[in-house]
Amino acid sequence: MAHGVLPFGVAAIDRALPGGGLARGALHEILGVDGDEEDGALAAAFAAHILGHLTRPPTSPSRSLKRPGSSLSSLKGGGEGRGEVGVVLWCLPRPDLYGPGLAAYGLDPGRVVLARVARDAEILWAMEEGLRAPGIVAVVGEVGSLPMVASRRLQLSAERSGIMAFLLRRWRDGGQAARERALPNAAVTRWRIAALPSRPSLDEPGVGNPRWRVELLRCRGGEPASWEMPAWEMPAWEMEVPDATDHVSLAAALADRPAAPVASEKYRRAG
Amino acid sequence: MSLADALSFLPGLATALAKPAEDAAALRQLAEWCGRYSPWTAPDGADGVRIEITGSAHLWGGERALAADLAARLDRRGVASRIVIADTLGAAWAMARFAEASDNVVILAPGELRAALASLPVEALRLDPITAQGLRRVGLKRVGDLYAMPRDALARRFGETVARLLDQALDEMPEPLSPLGEVPSRRVRLSFAEPITEPAALMLATERLTADLVLRLAREGTGARRLALVFHRVDGRVERISLGTARPSRDPRHIVALFRERLDTIDPGLGVEDMILAAYAVEPLPAEQIGLLGHSAGNETSGIAPLLDRLGNRLGLAAISQLEPRESHIPERASVRVAIGEALASSVTPAKAGAQGQLAPGPGSLDPRLRGDDGIRPPRPIRLFEPPEPVEAFWLLPDDPPFRFMWRRRRHRVMRADGPERIADEWWLPGASGEVDAIRDYYRVEDEEGRRFWLFRAGLHGGDRKPRWFVHGVFS
Repeated sequence: MAHGVLPFGVAAIDRALPGGGLARGALHEILGVDGDEEDGALAAAFAAHILGHLTRPPTSPSRSLKRPGSSLSSLKGGGEGRGEVGVVLWCLPRPDLYGPGLAAYGLDPGRVVLARVARDAEILWAMEEGLRAPGIVAVVGEVGSLPMVASRRLQLSAERSGIMAFLLRRWRDGGQAARERALPNAAVTRWRIAALPSRPSLDEPGVGNPRWRVELLRCRGGEPASWEMPAWEMPAWEMEVPDATDHVSLAAALADRPAAPVASEKYRRAG
Repeated sequence: MSLADALSFLPGLATALAKPAEDAAALRQLAEWCGRYSPWTAPDGADGVRIEITGSAHLWGGERALAADLAARLDRRGVASRIVIADTLGAAWAMARFAEASDNVVILAPGELRAALASLPVEALRLDPITAQGLRRVGLKRVGDLYAMPRDALARRFGETVARLLDQALDEMPEPLSPLGEVPSRRVRLSFAEPITEPAALMLATERLTADLVLRLAREGTGARRLALVFHRVDGRVERISLGTARPSRDPRHIVALFRERLDTIDPGLGVEDMILAAYAVEPLPAEQIGLLGHSAGNETSGIAPLLDRLGNRLGLAAISQLEPRESHIPERASVRVAIGEALASSVTPAKAGAQGQLAPGPGSLDPRLRGDDGIRPPRPIRLFEPPEPVEAFWLLPDDPPFRFMWRRRRHRVMRADGPERIADEWWLPGASGEVDAIRDYYRVEDEEGRRFWLFRAGLHGGDRKPRWFVHGVFS
């Protein structure tokens, strides 16, 4: 915890984490469930949300996406003052990450540098390089197989530099998933994100607001926990609200399981 | 003469199969090795190498010393050679093949050109055999015989080629040499008295060369975008490391670090006798403060550029990209990956504006162009498959989303759906097909587990072809 923590801003989750937030300068692992273990959509969304927090300057008067910080400029010089701006290195084997989708979770795609790498070993190498570079605030890697030694190296590099590292696990098939899931690694936390079916609603036909089950499977210095919550996705119109405050406080919508049913609707419109 | 005839004359004749392809490859390698004398080298026909040494002879202490060095090295490699230095390619070619000289090194002084060529047979003009025969038939046997002939008569009788080759040999018409490879814009060379093999020694030499090159780049206010480090081995093999940088660079530490990463791919063999560092593409790079004692120089660029270069040189610069929004409602065109080299090169100026806290959206930021006019954007998936993956779908009514679909051998039951959102071809662009198939109806569907997919139907009902269904992305 030498580098402090990044609070989620969600009281229930922050309470479960030692130090009240996600450790900086540490390796975090995010898993999907079932079919999503192959696509890693929820894992990517979860990471994008955290990275969105990390890359938005805290001093900015408005944190709404309507006023993007200079994005590419962070690459080319000129950061907006001090604070946590910078570039996210995202290493992935298939270039299926979609910019507008990232933006919906609060991560400006302009802050992301994609490295398309076919092999897991090369992804781990690229992540390690990223963890040593100045100007990088976080490193994300989508890997299938993860040897213990490699995760240990990543964790050490992250500790040394204070840069956050995220491993999104993507498994080709059930066999690989079963094998890899059981293997230990050096990540400080292990999360699993699953989609929950929409709540039935009479007045709103069609697909409802997305909801997640967020499980903290393992946490160094903490206890496993699980929450059901509305997804962090920003509704499209929220970005239009001038001077939106931080996008929607979700804390009230959360409860430790079993969660009391809360109409998520009103929380999503707040702000 | 056929082989059988020859063998009957001389039973002990040693024979070997001709291997033109291998000969050509060896010659090419020799030409590349000659790169130690000049960047302008090329194989010449089947048995020669051209080297343009204008401006580089003084580095060897004069033409004579250069020729002597070359002859000694070729000799050591067991290559029989004749070296001619002349004012023109044509003259050098002629002298190397037709002159009767005892020495294997001939250097023609500028004034001697005409006299030296005069006594050579006409074939020395690089003529094809038929033309040469024609000349001989009319009694023109020596190059000197042609000097007196009027050029236009010569051209009328024997074609333009003869006159041109003659003029080129006599330096009355220029003849450019096309080099073997790309000619670098800046080049530094280091020769070793003793061939080196140790990785540490190679590293040290790399550092010295880099320091040399950087000094020259700094004097000119430029930075290198592409570099090559060439190793000339004792056995004549040439090894090289080529690399590119995302931004022009002349930071010696950075350049050395890039080479260090790849130095283990070099096989020094029995030793490396020359190393050449060449900068191919240079771009203006104004002087800048390079960080002191490892502190960043206040400019994030210099922070991340080395990383991008390291990644790019191992993975290929094309593998490193950024997501850039584009004005298009076709999902796969609305967000494109731009290779980082291009992205940085193309948008240096807008970044300056953005850095001063202005709200001008840079080309990578989330800007209003992304949104529809009414400001409401339909949801977009976080993963987009390229190309869309076909699925087997079952539906009831023409405009309904499917109630069930098979994707990646799994069956998904559709519990809820939103849509359709119709996205048609951008018919105003050239290349748009305008076909019914180009119309897509998108649905956001949720299966029984709560996973959300972005499905679309290509084509309409009632046409000749059945509409097809695809998964284009997954929501979270």
